[in-house]
Amino acid sequence: MATTAAPPATTGPAPRQPSAASRLIDASTLSRPRRSWVPLPHWLRRLAGPALVVVVWQLLGTFGEINQQILATPSQVLSAGWQLTKDGELGSNLLASLQRVGFGLLIGVTVGTLLAVVAGLFRLGEELVDSTMQIVRSLPVLGLMPLVIIWFGVGEAPKIALVAFASACPVYINTYAGIRGVDNRLVESGRVVGLGQFGLIRHVILPGAVPGFLVGLRFALTSAWLVIIIAEQLNATSGIGYLMNQAQAWYRTDIIVLGLLIYGLLGLLADAAVRLLERRLLVWRHGFNGA
Amino acid sequence: MTTTAATTTPADLTDPAGGTDADLAVRATGLHRTFDGREVLAGIDLDIRRGEFVALLGRSGSGKSTLLRAMAGLDPDFSGRLLVPERRSVVFQDHRLQPWKRVLDNVVLGLPRAGARAAGLTALDEVGLAERARDWPVTLSGGEAQRAALARALVRDPELLLLDEPFGALDALTRIRMHALLRELCGRHRPAVLLVTHDVDEAVALADRVFVLTDGRLGTAHSTGRPGLREELLAELGVVATPLPAAQPG
Repeated sequence: MATTAAPPATTGPAPRQPSAASRLIDASTLSRPRRSWVPLPHWLRRLAGPALVVVVWQLLGTFGEINQQILATPSQVLSAGWQLTKDGELGSNLLASLQRVGFGLLIGVTVGTLLAVVAGLFRLGEELVDSTMQIVRSLPVLGLMPLVIIWFGVGEAPKIALVAFASACPVYINTYAGIRGVDNRLVESGRVVGLGQFGLIRHVILPGAVPGFLVGLRFALTSAWLVIIIAEQLNATSGIGYLMNQAQAWYRTDIIVLGLLIYGLLGLLADAAVRLLERRLLVWRHGFNGA
Repeated sequence: MTTTAATTTPADLTDPAGGTDADLAVRATGLHRTFDGREVLAGIDLDIRRGEFVALLGRSGSGKSTLLRAMAGLDPDFSGRLLVPERRSVVFQDHRLQPWKRVLDNVVLGLPRAGARAAGLTALDEVGLAERARDWPVTLSGGEAQRAALARALVRDPELLLLDEPFGALDALTRIRMHALLRELCGRHRPAVLLVTHDVDEAVALADRVFVLTDGRLGTAHSTGRPGLREELLAELGVVATPLPAAQPG
């Protein structure tokens, strides 16, 4: 660093001369407001990016730059979707996938929550359950597939079991952390107003664990879809994953892309559902008082 | 453990050793408390009469909050004898409202359901928060939240009101208003009050008697309402007295 700093000309600030006062300037001109280039609403401009990708993709396909066996064009994906919907094939397979994820989540979230409550509230529960769950959660879910197939065969049960397993862990971890993270000062304040053990759990500890539970629920939904995609592609006779796997045999990239699209949409919908739940359960965080 | 489980009915507030005194709200005799070998309360003897307002001054770490927590029933590990009434309320420095309960639900939390909401609304009205009953605690300002905490304490009709630096986190103007409110409410409900604070002016302004707690020991009682007390208390706290704020220019 060889900057040559100019030595201060004088020691200390020079007394300001009562020079001719400069003119006052309008403070509102000092910082320029952020102006957008295109006068369109924000969300519309955010949509423009993906839309551009789809258009380029479609054009490349139409002019033969992309081999159909490598990747179908968006219009072909749409028409495949229409065709399968008319056949009723899409509906029945979608229903099969939804049912597996639904049942699996129901079981997994229930079990995860119950274990978290037991481990979070009771010393013995913590000692027995928590260490076990910490080991169990480090197992890769998909690595259990062979074992699950031996246990449950190739019907619906193994898929539901995998989804349940995959969703129980994140719900457990986050709900447990939520219970343990409840502010002790709030527990004291509850005790001071005369709440007993049961009242503390009901009015202080469980409400305090809801934010953690919802984080766990979000993770659970993500991993549930991830697991069902793999499970349905390996051994299934129905479901979106099965549809995609069949399509692979016939090089129907349009159906494969369609399947991906549906999984993506379902993921988005699930996320929106949790967000709605959050809005309802966590109103107290923002204090919105309407409705 | 030599702790006396210390909830008694008003008439029972008696100490076999010291004789009956139905007039007492608190009787502490030889109270000790150690944390990891460090003696925080080194033998406290303190009586508080019914309706009396006692302030406890002390520097941080002097043990004043420890004494209050023992009276609140939040500390099972003290030794000595401590008699307190059955109906006790605490207001902490932070409001400690349950954030997931609306203001009124916080005020009546722990009360038997019958008639609780009406009583809660009355209490909120007393602290000037009736119209915020349905709001979430997060929307309250610091002073409002502390007033809600005060309502939560008063709705229980306490015989002993324990205040643990309740105004310490408030701005100066709000604090002055809260002093007036507290004085008015205590005048109406007449609970025995123990106010723990490090603010000498607050103690002098509110209390009937002031104690200084130093290294776990109580100093002598000072009755308020005489000149020069502020300087005496400051000296007892180890601070060189400064002129009253009112006398300062600017």
